[in-house]
Amino acid sequence: MDTLLDIRNLSLEFRTPRGRVKALREISFPIRKGRTIGIVGESGSGKSTILWAILGLLASNAKVTSGEIMFEDRNLLALSESGLQAVRGEEISVVFQDPMTSQIPVLTYARQMFDILYRRPGMSAAEKRRHAVEMMQKVGIADPESRIDQYPHHFSGGMRQRAGIAMALLTGPKLLLADEPTTALDVTLEAQIIHLLQELKSELDTTVVVVSHNLGLIAELCDEVVVMYAGEVVEVGEVRQIFHDPRHPYTRALLECDPARIEKASRRLPVILGDIPDLAKPQTGCIYATRCQRAMPICRTDAPPVVGLTVSRFAKCHLLAGPHHDPQWPPPPDVLTVPMGESVAAPRTVGRAQGELLNVTNLNVQFQIMGPVSAWMRGITRRHVDAVLDVSLSVRPGETVGLVGESGSGKTTLGRTILNLVPAQNGSVTFENREIRNMAERHFKPLRRDMAMMFQDPVGSLSPRKSVRALIVEPILIHGIDCPDLDAEAERLADLVRLPRPLLARYPHELSGGQARRVGVARALALNPKLIIADEPTAGLDVSVQGEILNLMADLQAEHGLGYLIITHNLPVVRHISDRLAIMYLGRIVEHGPADEIFRNPAHPYTKALVEGVPNPDPDRRRTHVSISGEVPSLLRRPQGCDFVTRCPYAQDRCRIEKPPHSRITPDHDHACFFPLR
Amino acid sequence: MYIYLLKRLGLAVAVIGAVILVLFSLLHLIPGDPATIALGPRATPETIARYAAKMHLDDPIWKQLLVYAGNALTGDLGLDVFSERPVTAMIGERLGFTLALVFAGMGWAALLGIPLGCLSAIKPNSWVDRLTGILSVGAIAVPSFLVSIWALLIFAVQLRWLPAIGAGEPGDFSDQVVHLVLPAFAVGLGWVGYLARMVRASMLEVMGETYIRSARAFGLRPRKIVFGYALRVAILPTITLIGMGFGGLVSAAVFAEIIFSRPGIGKLIFDSVMSRNFPVVQGAVLVATALYIFVVLISDLVIAWLDPRVRESL
Ligand code: SF4
Ligand code: SF4
Repeated sequence: MDTLLDIRNLSLEFRTPRGRVKALREISFPIRKGRTIGIVGESGSGKSTILWAILGLLASNAKVTSGEIMFEDRNLLALSESGLQAVRGEEISVVFQDPMTSQIPVLTYARQMFDILYRRPGMSAAEKRRHAVEMMQKVGIADPESRIDQYPHHFSGGMRQRAGIAMALLTGPKLLLADEPTTALDVTLEAQIIHLLQELKSELDTTVVVVSHNLGLIAELCDEVVVMYAGEVVEVGEVRQIFHDPRHPYTRALLECDPARIEKASRRLPVILGDIPDLAKPQTGCIYATRCQRAMPICRTDAPPVVGLTVSRFAKCHLLAGPHHDPQWPPPPDVLTVPMGESVAAPRTVGRAQGELLNVTNLNVQFQIMGPVSAWMRGITRRHVDAVLDVSLSVRPGETVGLVGESGSGKTTLGRTILNLVPAQNGSVTFENREIRNMAERHFKPLRRDMAMMFQDPVGSLSPRKSVRALIVEPILIHGIDCPDLDAEAERLADLVRLPRPLLARYPHELSGGQARRVGVARALALNPKLIIADEPTAGLDVSVQGEILNLMADLQAEHGLGYLIITHNLPVVRHISDRLAIMYLGRIVEHGPADEIFRNPAHPYTKALVEGVPNPDPDRRRTHVSISGEVPSLLRRPQGCDFVTRCPYAQDRCRIEKPPHSRITPDHDHACFFPLR
Repeated sequence: MYIYLLKRLGLAVAVIGAVILVLFSLLHLIPGDPATIALGPRATPETIARYAAKMHLDDPIWKQLLVYAGNALTGDLGLDVFSERPVTAMIGERLGFTLALVFAGMGWAALLGIPLGCLSAIKPNSWVDRLTGILSVGAIAVPSFLVSIWALLIFAVQLRWLPAIGAGEPGDFSDQVVHLVLPAFAVGLGWVGYLARMVRASMLEVMGETYIRSARAFGLRPRKIVFGYALRVAILPTITLIGMGFGGLVSAAVFAEIIFSRPGIGKLIFDSVMSRNFPVVQGAVLVATALYIFVVLISDLVIAWLDPRVRESL
């Protein structure tokens, strides 16, 4: 088979104030024509840097120090800027990560696509338009003839990504690069985009490179996989080889950490301990040695051999060849090679007898969407939308409740309402049997000690000018609590969340993602709360690190009997740590019950779609169909009958007229569907 | 869109109404006979009597207000105390000169400042950028009346390249243009700096956006990316600034008109304040306010035209 793109010995560094960061070191792998290659790795692995190097669009402080990127017979690294400009978009094109920010908001799709076709003088304007419309049709945009004249903000997230794919394929490129193409999308949309890419790739016969941290997506979409760690390629192989017979300890660890691969619900998740090495410092030996579960003394001093049969199947590890060859490695697939993380093994104390910590009953939150004048002029009588509709939910001490939903489900609004940050129209919220809904802030403030919020983006929500020490004790100062020794308190909290004490003197931007999360947890714990509401506690974290945070949260719960309400879109993760799950759709809880039961045997069609929406990190279990189509409707257009009726594959006439009430299957499992799946 | 237009027009009318109210009450809040105050110390008893009759000063206050507002809105701003010419006509004669000055000032500032801002943003920290930066800050820092005086001294008095005072022969277009050069230069200079800085800042921000990187990844020409994409977005806050800037420019025009002895609204206001010619002050302030509101409205509409998101949220 012909090689379309050949990356040979590519090394690259970024010049930063901290010194030269060697972001890529001696990367070599071929990309063969007609194949789909997945580049997988965690943050800091350099996987996206490779894409930008191919396109010649590296940041201005980047410098290629060696190697070449051969595209057919040209070395892309040696091309002039105008030579590259001719290749970009025409022969090599890109699908971007976030369709919300990667399309210019002030130009119509027709205009944007027209601009991409500027190098086709032979095509008349009408031909260009026809071609663009055809492309939009191909990626599944209904009524492309008129929608092409709309602006990006008229398109929903999934439609925008489809349009992004249409733009990338417009010129019929030989090579299509996709940079985390589904990361910004909800699960059910991710499934649709993966499916679309699969279809297009067999139809158009393009060579595709997909960069992602999502093992499921790679398994479903790719023929070959390149595994990267800290700027090096550690293993390359056919997708089956990588997923069923990984040779490198890192590949193995990565697969073991993926919560979607863990069949049995378990309280703790496996983790890769430690942090990615600082690439500004010189590295010797194996790059993975500081975190490797099998590291040997030689790994720290001698570079591992490249062991493999061909250029497209190799791994770099001492265990595989040479004097330290271990014939027992790798062990059978069911053996766990990485640790489950540190554990303070106190027994879980789910205090069912202790009554409820938090109780939400029939809560309704409405948002006003326009003023009375505008509404009157537009002839609209209903001026508000229901962001939260008839929600009932409870959390007991020592219990974890997962609140799962896609964007627009109202899950975050619900969390904020419980914390009295958003007023509710009616219903009740009680905390330790005290009604707290719409309480005046002056009465509520003392309660904020007992209910802490853990924010989604810890670094963004922390003041950059304060040291970690100051940040951790900040809640104590805000609440004016008498604390004789703040330093000792900061150290106590740091120990509690296992944050090394020297880090207390640092500033938020100097922390790694996992460390910043720990600071977030420490802040939430500073006031000894009874309930923690965590908004996407692991969003943006690498799989190898998210286990650490979740295990830490589980330990703290076991020690202190905390109640957790975890708000998330990530079903595979919460499933492992939750006692109960509540699934939200358009502001309503559509199913609520024991976590494992819901995951294994969902009653509501939407829950089923969420469970099936997660791609399987196993190339032998690729999905052949998309379980649900369409997208979450706007709150302004809440369907008349069942909220899910516009997307439900099981919908019947009755669903279009009546709203299904909540009905019970067992005393602690209920759903809102006329035709439940069980 | 129409609702938005209606709202904005309603707002404009309300603001003008408020200005009328303020101007009216100023006259009546000062203790003493309003007619004497309005006409100043040099007014003769006849003019006072005529003024009192015209303004219905014997009627109740609310009626007077209605009459005043009604007159103002129908274009009758009263009479000049001295010449007894209609104020509306006096303003009408001068409005053109002020508008020409303000537009010429802002015009050259935009034509120079916006490209300079773009240039600086494309090559940040280059010598072009640094030089523009220093000159911009300098231009912003110097008050426009100083610029006027210096420009007058250097170009008109010393070098004698351009005429010093006046607005040019009526009817002689090229003469009028020649007379416009120095005042427009003085009025606009600070704005070159403002606009260059503003455009640079917003261009730098936009050039870092993901969609600009997309455009580069699709192989678009650099010139297209800068002017067709980045500037398209970066210009929006600048337009708002320009719209609001007209208010500031009218005050800069006051100085320029005084120094260059140009007939214009600014000079008119100045002269009438000095001579306590109250009806003229009132009328001129009202017209200037209305102009300002109108320009801001136009700039908002231009933004709505350029940015579909704004257009639809209206
Ligand atoms: S060479 Fe050593 S440290 Fe590196 S992956 Fe192999 S066993 Fe681990
Ligand atoms: S009620 Fe009908 S539309 Fe709603 S989820 Fe059940 S089957 Fe689907």
